[in-house]
Amino acid sequence: MLSLRPTVLNSLFRGVAITLAALLIPACAPRQKLKREFPPLPKDVDITTKPPGRYGGIYISVDPGGGPNTFNYLVAEDATSMGAISTVLEGLVRRNAMTEEIIPGLAKSWEIGPDNKTYTFHLREGVKWSDGAPFSADDVVFTYACIYDERFPNRHASDYSIDGKPFKVEKIDDLTVRFITPDIYAPFLEMVGGGSILPKHALQKFVDNGTLMKAWNIGTHPREIVSTGMFRIASFKPGERLVYEPNPHYWRADSAGQRLPYLDLSITKFVRDQNASLAAFATGQSDSENVSPADVEWVRRGEKAHNYTVHERGPSTVCNFLWFNQNPEKDKSGKPFVEPYKLKWFQDVRFRQAVSYGINREGIIKGVLFGRGTPLWGPETPANTKWFNPDLQKYPYSPEQARELLKQAGFRWNEAGELFDSAGNRVSFSLNTNQENPIRQHMATVFKENMKDLGIEVKLQLLDFGTFVKKIGESYDYECGMLGLTGGGDPVGGMSVYLSSGRMHEWYPNQKKPATAWEARIDELMMKQLKTLNLAERKKYWFEVQRIMSEQLPFIYLITPNSYEGVKDRWENVEIPKAGGITWNLDEYYLK
Amino acid sequence: MKTYILRRLLLMIPMLLGVSLLVFVLVYISPGNYLDVLKAQRDIPAEFIAKKERELGLDRPWYMQYVSWLGRTVRGDFGESWSYRIPVIELLAQRAPATLALSLTSLVFAWAIAVPLGVFAAVYRNSIFDKLSALSAYAALSIPEFFLALLAVIFASQWGGFPTGGLSAIDHDYLSPVGQLWDYVHHLILPTIVLGIGGAAGLMRVMRTNMLDVIQSDYVMTARAKGVPGNVIMFRHVLRNAINPLVTSLGFAFSGLLSGAVLVENVMNYPGLGQLIFQAFMRKDRDVVMAAVIIGSSMLIIGNLIADILLAWVDPRIRYDK
Repeated sequence: MLSLRPTVLNSLFRGVAITLAALLIPACAPRQKLKREFPPLPKDVDITTKPPGRYGGIYISVDPGGGPNTFNYLVAEDATSMGAISTVLEGLVRRNAMTEEIIPGLAKSWEIGPDNKTYTFHLREGVKWSDGAPFSADDVVFTYACIYDERFPNRHASDYSIDGKPFKVEKIDDLTVRFITPDIYAPFLEMVGGGSILPKHALQKFVDNGTLMKAWNIGTHPREIVSTGMFRIASFKPGERLVYEPNPHYWRADSAGQRLPYLDLSITKFVRDQNASLAAFATGQSDSENVSPADVEWVRRGEKAHNYTVHERGPSTVCNFLWFNQNPEKDKSGKPFVEPYKLKWFQDVRFRQAVSYGINREGIIKGVLFGRGTPLWGPETPANTKWFNPDLQKYPYSPEQARELLKQAGFRWNEAGELFDSAGNRVSFSLNTNQENPIRQHMATVFKENMKDLGIEVKLQLLDFGTFVKKIGESYDYECGMLGLTGGGDPVGGMSVYLSSGRMHEWYPNQKKPATAWEARIDELMMKQLKTLNLAERKKYWFEVQRIMSEQLPFIYLITPNSYEGVKDRWENVEIPKAGGITWNLDEYYLK
Repeated sequence: MKTYILRRLLLMIPMLLGVSLLVFVLVYISPGNYLDVLKAQRDIPAEFIAKKERELGLDRPWYMQYVSWLGRTVRGDFGESWSYRIPVIELLAQRAPATLALSLTSLVFAWAIAVPLGVFAAVYRNSIFDKLSALSAYAALSIPEFFLALLAVIFASQWGGFPTGGLSAIDHDYLSPVGQLWDYVHHLILPTIVLGIGGAAGLMRVMRTNMLDVIQSDYVMTARAKGVPGNVIMFRHVLRNAINPLVTSLGFAFSGLLSGAVLVENVMNYPGLGQLIFQAFMRKDRDVVMAAVIIGSSMLIIGNLIADILLAWVDPRIRYDK
């Protein structure tokens, strides 16, 4: 019966298709001409160093995240919403993704006071919001007043404070703003300088009536969402697509005096699934796409037919690691989180190192990632060129060395090759990870086999994401966990992970005081790197933290998949950085 | 009749209370909550999470949360989506037209092919056409909707004549009004077929059986004996009587108007209510899920009621009043 089904369907489809082919011709009706305005350039226009290009072209991307939930800077919590907001709301400074330098944004220059706590920004003269209203220091002051306003709880408020003390933001004159931080704050330029600046003239009324958190939602008319970025929103259809059109008042131009961006439109189509997004790219329907290692082979086969190239970007910023629960505390009923005899193994650095030696990372890369991955020995992946310390203790696959370390730590084997500790307990633990990520599941399976070779029994427990987060962050009733975190960026992002009092110090979170000497040292180094603006010094401290992590192995680092980006060949000025989005300079893209 | 309808409507209240309580508890005891995604991000401070927890009321016991939710809902306030920060009703209203359009077209599609096919299958009973239609009806009934949807997506991507999903083309905003209309139609065809084909198969079998029942009744025999032409018997007498029971199924169709397309919408990336609700469920955006459940079950109950009323209306033998 089933075999008949496709023929019936096919003939049905064919009939419908032919009828419709005739009907669909009117759909190709002439398009409305795209109109572009060119108001005069601002006085302090930013001129790109690239040779002039020409106007035209539509850039299409597909977002598997399903589109933004909000356009409100204070509400946004997910990457897709944040991405859309940062496209329209520029910061005082920007980052050159290729060189990782901080470059001027809405501020043309800045200076840092001798106390290393005072930052004075000089804004560009003549910059306007996309609706033509002038941009000024008032907008900057307004932005921070909103962030610190108790009525509007948001994630930025605590990012932009030190020990609960907010930064002071003052207007010196219309084009000068001064920030004073309560203490030296190393990542100031990157974190604060890059933060979006909100439009006072458009949002003041929502602050006055206390409804700021409801403003700029997905029902707001696109024209009300004013922009300082390269684009403004032309239309937004929830669940379908977001269409950006050039911001007529954008403050960048090329040396021929043409205002950027060159593109006529940039359209982001939303789908709900990575595969759908990839399929759209591989069939030539979108301009760029992140390709996972397992898909590189077949996507490359379409390069000629659809005029795209899959570029290798090297290691990604995703850090996969596993760790043992070293939490010595007890739950409310007085039961220890971890069996005391197991806790003893987990707290023994020789045991952790032995496990690390016992993991065949090359095998994982070959088996799971088709050779498209890189082994990891520390918290930073090589993609983070600025902060990556290559000189770490490494644990190349060596079961012999693993056995040697286990022997030293008092473990022994029975005739069947099973491992026992000195008290005669069989060495066995369960590994928890979340089930949504297939690559991680495969890694867990290889890990289990590797441990079996050492006589260690690993039981795999796949949990759903919610349960897993609860286990590692609240109930602590697990033995070993595996996780992948997207790292990269400034070490300040890792404060909650590396400080012993941190919420995500997974092996033993929220410590009252550091449990070990090396954790105390890490605490000290993390605080030191935060309290100096000297990059070389910060690097020194952060490199030492990486070194300690690789020696003590509270996290046993596994691998990072390499990252691949497919881009259509028709674009000029495509610059693919080691990490981060490739469209960071979309304003400079033009058709070849 | 009026008292009957009133009684049925009053019965809705305990039923909706029960459903809402059940779903609320299920959402509560399923692992994790809305804040998990935040908790897994390393740069979100613990104080912010605690603040959010208080703000959303997630730190209170579930029955307190339920009571406050119920109190609000009874006053007609379905609350605010936690992730979108807009009133749930606005959010649902944004997506409802797309789903409504799809449900209605697939309903029309199902009726338009089921009624004639059922009639012909009955008229030419035991012919090769009857057997073929039975075969394809069973096939259509036994293939799950999501699988059909997948087939449709594959078909679209291989064939190229249809969009692989969505509601409108990427250049929709720049088409002429006529072009825009055609664009919508073009995007509706595949989901309509996928969603309608199962219903069509079922309806067709019912139609056929009804026709056969009526054909074998005494008055048809009498008509034949009196020499009434075959066409007149079939279309004036038999069809009219046979279609009566189908009319009641319209009532049931009402209950599925907003919630019947969840699977198809998700597989075919159709931006309707089903997609939104599924997403809200995965994200544990509680008030959106609750509102969807309440609206869905109200429509089911009302749909049943409409079916019963229609039945009484088309069939004078049925009376609900004592």
